[in-house]
Amino acid sequence: MPKVTRRTFVKTSAVAAGGTALARNYLFGPLDTVAAESPLALQPMVEDVVPTTCWIGKQDCGMLARRVDGRVIKFEGHPANPRNAGTLCPKGQAQIVALYDPNRVKWPLIRTNAKGATGEWRRASWDEALQLVADQVNEVRERDPKAVLWQKGRSKAKKFYDDAFVKSLGSAKMGHGAYCSDVGYRVLEYMIGTHAVLHPDFRYCDYMLSWGWNITGAGGNKTCWLQWPRHMVEAKERGLTITHIDPRLRSAGPFADDWLAIRPGTDLAMALALCHELVAQGFLDRPYLSTYTNAPYLVKPDGSVAKVTVGEGEEAEELALVWDEDAGAAVPFAEATSRALEGSYEIDGEVLRPAFEVFKEHIAQYSPEWAAPITDLPAEKIRQVATDFGEKAQIGSTLVVDGVEVPYRPVGIMAYHVAQQELGFPTLQAMTMVPMLVGAMGAAGGQLSDYSWKIHKNYAKFEKLTVDDPPYDYFLNKSKFFPINTGLPGVVAKVMQDPAKFGVEKLPEVAILHMVNPLNAFPSQPDFLASYGMFKFVAVISPWLSETADYFADVVLPAATIEKYEGPISVNNQYIDGSTLRIPPMDPLFESKGEIDIYMDLTEKMGLLYGEDGYLYQVNKALGLVDDKAEFGVDINSKPQVRDIFDNWARSEGIEEGVAYFEDPGKSVYIKGPVKPTKMYGYATDPPFGGAIHRFYGESLLDAQNQMKEKGAEAIYYQDYNALPTWRPPTMDSSPAEYDLYMISYKLIEHKQARTSFVPLLAELAPGARVDINPVTANRLGIESGDVVTVESHNAVTGETRSIALPAVMCEGIRPDVVGIPHHFGMWTHPVNEGQGSSPNELYFTGEGYTTNTADQSFHVKVRVRKGGEL
Amino acid sequence: MAKYGMVVDLERCQGCRACMEACKVENNTTESMFWMYVFRFEEGTYPDTKMSFLPRPCQHCDNAPCVKVCPVGARYKREDGIVLTDPDRCIGCRYCSLACPYGVNYFNYQKPQDAYYALGIDWEDPDVTSVTGGVVPPYKNPDHDLLYGEEQRRTAGGGHAKGVMEKCTFCVHRVENGMLPACVETCPTNALVFGDVSDPDTPISRYVRAREPWHLLEETGTEPSVMYVGGKPPTLALTEIERPKARV
Repeated sequence: MPKVTRRTFVKTSAVAAGGTALARNYLFGPLDTVAAESPLALQPMVEDVVPTTCWIGKQDCGMLARRVDGRVIKFEGHPANPRNAGTLCPKGQAQIVALYDPNRVKWPLIRTNAKGATGEWRRASWDEALQLVADQVNEVRERDPKAVLWQKGRSKAKKFYDDAFVKSLGSAKMGHGAYCSDVGYRVLEYMIGTHAVLHPDFRYCDYMLSWGWNITGAGGNKTCWLQWPRHMVEAKERGLTITHIDPRLRSAGPFADDWLAIRPGTDLAMALALCHELVAQGFLDRPYLSTYTNAPYLVKPDGSVAKVTVGEGEEAEELALVWDEDAGAAVPFAEATSRALEGSYEIDGEVLRPAFEVFKEHIAQYSPEWAAPITDLPAEKIRQVATDFGEKAQIGSTLVVDGVEVPYRPVGIMAYHVAQQELGFPTLQAMTMVPMLVGAMGAAGGQLSDYSWKIHKNYAKFEKLTVDDPPYDYFLNKSKFFPINTGLPGVVAKVMQDPAKFGVEKLPEVAILHMVNPLNAFPSQPDFLASYGMFKFVAVISPWLSETADYFADVVLPAATIEKYEGPISVNNQYIDGSTLRIPPMDPLFESKGEIDIYMDLTEKMGLLYGEDGYLYQVNKALGLVDDKAEFGVDINSKPQVRDIFDNWARSEGIEEGVAYFEDPGKSVYIKGPVKPTKMYGYATDPPFGGAIHRFYGESLLDAQNQMKEKGAEAIYYQDYNALPTWRPPTMDSSPAEYDLYMISYKLIEHKQARTSFVPLLAELAPGARVDINPVTANRLGIESGDVVTVESHNAVTGETRSIALPAVMCEGIRPDVVGIPHHFGMWTHPVNEGQGSSPNELYFTGEGYTTNTADQSFHVKVRVRKGGEL
Repeated sequence: MAKYGMVVDLERCQGCRACMEACKVENNTTESMFWMYVFRFEEGTYPDTKMSFLPRPCQHCDNAPCVKVCPVGARYKREDGIVLTDPDRCIGCRYCSLACPYGVNYFNYQKPQDAYYALGIDWEDPDVTSVTGGVVPPYKNPDHDLLYGEEQRRTAGGGHAKGVMEKCTFCVHRVENGMLPACVETCPTNALVFGDVSDPDTPISRYVRAREPWHLLEETGTEPSVMYVGGKPPTLALTEIERPKARV
């Protein structure tokens, strides 16, 4: 029958309309439906529901898996899970296709061709593959455990089984944090003691600065994309105002009440100007600053803090001095009854000033008029933001929350990945000072970070930063390069290529890569291409063949996706606390296995599963099944079922039914109850703020700078270690003028980093990469929407250039001097990746000028764009 | 008798398209078919740019043009307000598609198997069929093979048969079992509200009373069951951005 075009078909069917069903037969042949072909449709079906958790996204949202004859046909949000409250995002819905994807790694693979090019593989048995990995890793481990490098992209659920593996091997480990927001975590650990970035208290917040924040595409810091926007829209209905500070409007969608399209890399200047204005306009919470921060510490002319030694011998303690206005003398902080924040005081012939006085002098230069040309924002706009923030903070007010009276400062900042820029550390320092000045830190409606005030171990560690002489380890810990060190895989890749430059003697020799894809997901790709080939053996644990595995794996072990036990998983939505587990809705597909099974099998082959310090011992430890809970620990001398581990854990939590509680769809979410104000608000914890004195003034940062100089570090490494955040132009700004645009990359809500672009349903929703460009710029460059353009980046330090070509898309919601590219694409191993385009990670650089002072990646670079190029 | 309606709160919509995806999986629609579609719009010139989102399901009109033009009674409106397509009656003339001002009708040009394969996945892979028993797609929802309503017709999407028209059913197979449509169920910000508008005590009726709902293309007199609150009716000043691989 001839091909029916739309026009002829309509004509024909009009003629044939009298024949109804017969007519369709005539036109299209017999009714041809999927139902008619399904053998299962003819049999009685058994339906049931298995409670589980999302596997594809960030926060393991609660789900119910609807099954027909044991086959999952739909995932829906678990209504009893406070985090997602019965809802799911597009990724959560679409992951069902990933589950059944025939392009998963189905069985263990062993490489048959040379590394550094697309892999060729042979199918192996689990036994053979595990034995090969165990032998290769053991050979190195027995010589030097740190020469074994374990790397994971993002741990799902509690990472106890990862920690147990690393500890039982004694290996080194790397994560994704240095590409995420870890420089922000380091700032908060340093200043406040919490392990988090900045997040408002949506329940009461009236004014939020959404700073470099992807409201409609990302989600919260500690909680997920589902509950964060729900809290946000509820707050908006209550009257929350949002000022969006971002080069892109798309990130805020319709939720920005005001949009400040800031120039990339100048957030520090903006934050300093806000500090300047808050001080100038007198929006200061003096009781907070003098009681809970080190702002009253007396600072000597050399920047160090004046201290007095009390006690003797091992009891001796150095206590910081403050000026006590009641006593008219310098006394230790804790003894003072009225701590001066301002003034200068001569003590023993030295002029000492409170840190706050030093701060005031420091920021006097950073007026809105100063910041305006740097940020490309009008001075009056910056001033207005400061005024709004200060006024709406209602300094001095309190609120009774669940019977507890706490300071009420309904203003806050949402800041997360904005930390990931060259000046990320001082930027987040200055941004954190903004809520601190008005006393909003830990106040009702104000600035939260983590949802508790548990003090991270780095808070004490950062009191004194160590800068050693070489040799350094290959992360450059305690080095003159990065005294605070997140552990950037790109820096490790740099070190592997030139260890002498960094004073490193020992390099990693074998790698175990667990669901991580540096070659695609992390900058800088040429560095990973050059370094990962240097490993003499690479084992990969992953459900899909990553690009990194394709080029560099010797062995690939197939991990299950959602079909496994995993947990415990928090269901905390900021206001309600509890936990759940991932329950396998099906047996692992193909020959895949859950990771806990893989690690048990692998450590068994390595001779590390049993006994004291073995994997099982470390599992008990990492799950807290030791000491008073030792009765719940698994037997460390016999291999358990994974389900038994969780059964023990559940009983240790006082859940009598054990893991069966979590397998029951009617239960499955264990609610501990509402988060009490005495846990949520820093002012209300006992002791307040978990006992940390907030480091408004960073004495140990300045001390680190001095030590770095002594050890001969270059300025590019030490210049951002200052007691107070200090502006300098980012290094990228010294690229030649023809690199006239900034490139930023961003996340799409339809995708999760580098592990969803091959999911067919998500690739349908958000099909590929593009270059967002402002029409004014496009016109200037002769570019029209849909044109292929070449984006070329420039390294201001080395002069290196890199380029990719992608289609251009006109966008009125982006600064004319900025181009934006989503970061989810550029993969090639899966057929669905075909034609999706390149990743902006191919254009970023790692190293001097493109790495923070804490070894975190910057996602800013100067580029030029021209019409044309090869896709 | 209940009268079903839907409210779309544009002040809550994040434009995330979870509804599109929930619909796709629930109803097993084939490639590029989105019974629920969310427009993402940009408006104005930098820096005075505004963004907005607009979810658009079938409007389930009370005065439905698609029902009037159907020559075989395949497209019909139920007493509870839901507008459905009987795939066993549909002759594929596509008059409904031409008559509808909302563009919500999707025609099956291909055999469904072919349309699923086009997503880049080989569902006939023996390692997959050993688990799924050869069901295509593996997440196939058996509810679509059942009969619904007083009329007992196979109206919940049918089998996506080649040569028939299909569109949003308000998830009639879920609604008849006391559940919410898949899009409403999954919406992270509760921007979609579904329920019985004839009962004044339902959440949707309270929504309608408290806000000022408007309809898409009010001037066409279609009397939609889908209402919008917040935002404003789309105009030609809007530019659609970020189109999925969809027939729109």
